[in-house]
Amino acid sequence: MTPRERVLAALNRQVPDRVPWVENDIEESLQVRLMGKAEYTPPELCEKLGLDGFGYHFPFKGQAVAGQALQAGESYKDSYYYPQKVTFDFFPPWIAEMGSDPSTGRTYVKKGLLTSRDSLELFEEFLPDPDHPARYEQVQKWLEEYRGDYAVFARIRLGAASTIESMGLEQFAYALMDDPGLVHEVHRRFSEWTARVVEHLNQMDFDFLWANDDIAGNLGPFMSPADFREYFIPHMKVAADAIEKPWVYHSDGNLFPVLPDLLTLGMNAVHPIQPAAMDIEKMKAEYGEQACIVGNIDLDYTLTRGTPDEVDAEVKRRIEVVGRGGGYIISSANSLPDYCKEENVWAMSEAIKKYGLYNRD
Amino acid sequence: MMPNYEELNEAVIVGDRDKVAELTQKAIDEGAPPREVLDKGLVVAMDEVGRRYQTGEFYFPEMLRAARSMYSGLDLLRPMLAASKDEGRGTVVLGTVKGDLHDIGKNILGALFEGAGYEVVDIGIDANPQKFVDAVKEHEAKFVLMSALLTTTMEEMKKTILALADAGVRESVVVGIGGAPVTEQFSQEIGADFYATDAASAVAKAREFN
Repeated sequence: MTPRERVLAALNRQVPDRVPWVENDIEESLQVRLMGKAEYTPPELCEKLGLDGFGYHFPFKGQAVAGQALQAGESYKDSYYYPQKVTFDFFPPWIAEMGSDPSTGRTYVKKGLLTSRDSLELFEEFLPDPDHPARYEQVQKWLEEYRGDYAVFARIRLGAASTIESMGLEQFAYALMDDPGLVHEVHRRFSEWTARVVEHLNQMDFDFLWANDDIAGNLGPFMSPADFREYFIPHMKVAADAIEKPWVYHSDGNLFPVLPDLLTLGMNAVHPIQPAAMDIEKMKAEYGEQACIVGNIDLDYTLTRGTPDEVDAEVKRRIEVVGRGGGYIISSANSLPDYCKEENVWAMSEAIKKYGLYNRD
Repeated sequence: MMPNYEELNEAVIVGDRDKVAELTQKAIDEGAPPREVLDKGLVVAMDEVGRRYQTGEFYFPEMLRAARSMYSGLDLLRPMLAASKDEGRGTVVLGTVKGDLHDIGKNILGALFEGAGYEVVDIGIDANPQKFVDAVKEHEAKFVLMSALLTTTMEEMKKTILALADAGVRESVVVGIGGAPVTEQFSQEIGADFYATDAASAVAKAREFN
C-alpha cells in the first residue's frame, strides 16, 4: 500500500497493511531540528520520519508570490490570500486581540472581540473573502509539487472553536444567558464561511480534511451537552455537510459527554483522544465501530518528559489495543510541539515501524 | 428575623446577578452582619455551584455566570467587610506560572475562592517566582495557588516553591497547584502542600488548612 492508501483505509475503518502515522501539526522549529537542515520538502520530512501524510505548514516559502501584498504592514487578509510559507491550512482568523510570547514566538488569544451586537461588524474587517482564488491556486501548486503518494490534508474549523475564542469563554458564557441570539449569529457566520471554503477544497487534490475545533478541557466540554446541541451542532453541521472528502474531527479534552452528538456530523475519525482526558479502551470499545481513532500518544509526559523506552512501550501498547481490527491512525495526543524531546520522536518513529505491521493471515 | 438566604443562594446558583444584588442589599438593610451574608448567602451557594460542577451538572458557563452573580453581591459587602476589619479566611495569591499564558482556569479558581470568603490577589498570567514572592510578602498571604496548562511550564512551579523558601516565607504559606498536566505525584515531587484536579476541590483542600 502507498502511504495515501494506508491512511484512507484507516479513515474508512479498514485494516491497512500497517498502522499509518499522521500528525495534525509539527511545530516548524522541531521540523528543522528533526531534519537537521532548514531546506527540505514535506515529502522529505515524511520519508525521514516514516509519516504517511502531511498538512499544516512549513518554515520555508514556495514560489515567490508577486504583488503588493508582500509589503510590510500587510493586513491579515493579504497574508491569507498570498501565503509566504508553504501551508495547507484554511483557518479563519480569531476575531480577537492576539498576544505573542516573546521567548517562543507562539501567538495566543488575549481577548475575544465579539462581545456585543455592534462587534459583529468586525467579521467584515477580519474574515477574508472565501471565494478569493489566490490562496487556493497557490496551495494547489504546492499539492501538485509535493503530494506524491502521501495523504495530504487541509485544516479547517467548523466554527465552534472560532466562536468560543472570538467571544472569549466568559463573554460566551454570559451571552448564553443575556443574548443567546448573539452566540447563534457568531457561530452561523464562522460556519458559513468555512462551508464556502470547503466547496473550493472539495475541488482540490486534498485526500482528507481535518477540522480543528477545541470544545473541551480535560474534565469535559466547555458547555453542557444541552447547550452544545442547541448552539453548536446545527452550525457545525452546515460546515460539515459541505465536506465531500473523508475528514477528521479534532478537539482536545474529554469529549465523551458530547460524542454521540458530535458523531452525527458524520466525520470519519476523531482526534486526538488525550490519555489524561479520555480512556482509550472505552473509546475503542464503544465508538471504534463508528469512527476511526487518531492519536493518543501522550504529550503531558511520554513524548515531552519520558524516555525513548517509555515511548516504545506506549506505542506498542496503543497499536495492540487501538490498532486491533484497523481504524487507527497513530499520532501524538495533539501535535508535535517544539518541546517534545527529539529522541522521543525518533523512538516513536522506530516503534511504529517495529510494531505497526498488521498480521494478514 | 434572619434574611431569606435560601432565595439568595438560589439566585447565585442560577446566575441571576440583579436578584443577587437586590437580595444582598436587602439583607444588609435588614441589619444582617456582612460576614453572615457572605457565609450564608454567597459561600454556601458557591459551594453548591462547585459541587454541581464536580458532579457534571454544571459546566463552565453555569459556573462563570454564578461567579458573576456572586460578585454583584460581594461588591456590596466588600467595603463593609473591610470597615469591620473582618479577618476573613486569609489571603490567596494566585497566578499562572512563568511562560504560561492561560487564564480561564485561574479566573474560575479566583472566583470560587472569593466566593468562599477568601481575599484573592490575582497576579495574572506568566508570573515569575519573584512576583509570587513579592505578592506573598506584600499581602501577608496564607495561600499560594499556581496553575499551569503546559507541560513545559510545570517546572516553574518548583522554582517558585524554591524562591518562596529562599525568601523565608515558605513555612508561612500553604502552596496548592493545579492545571491539566499536573498530577498528585508531581505535586509531591516538588513539595507542594496540595494538588487539586479542579477549582472546587481546590477550595475544599484549602479549607483543610484553615
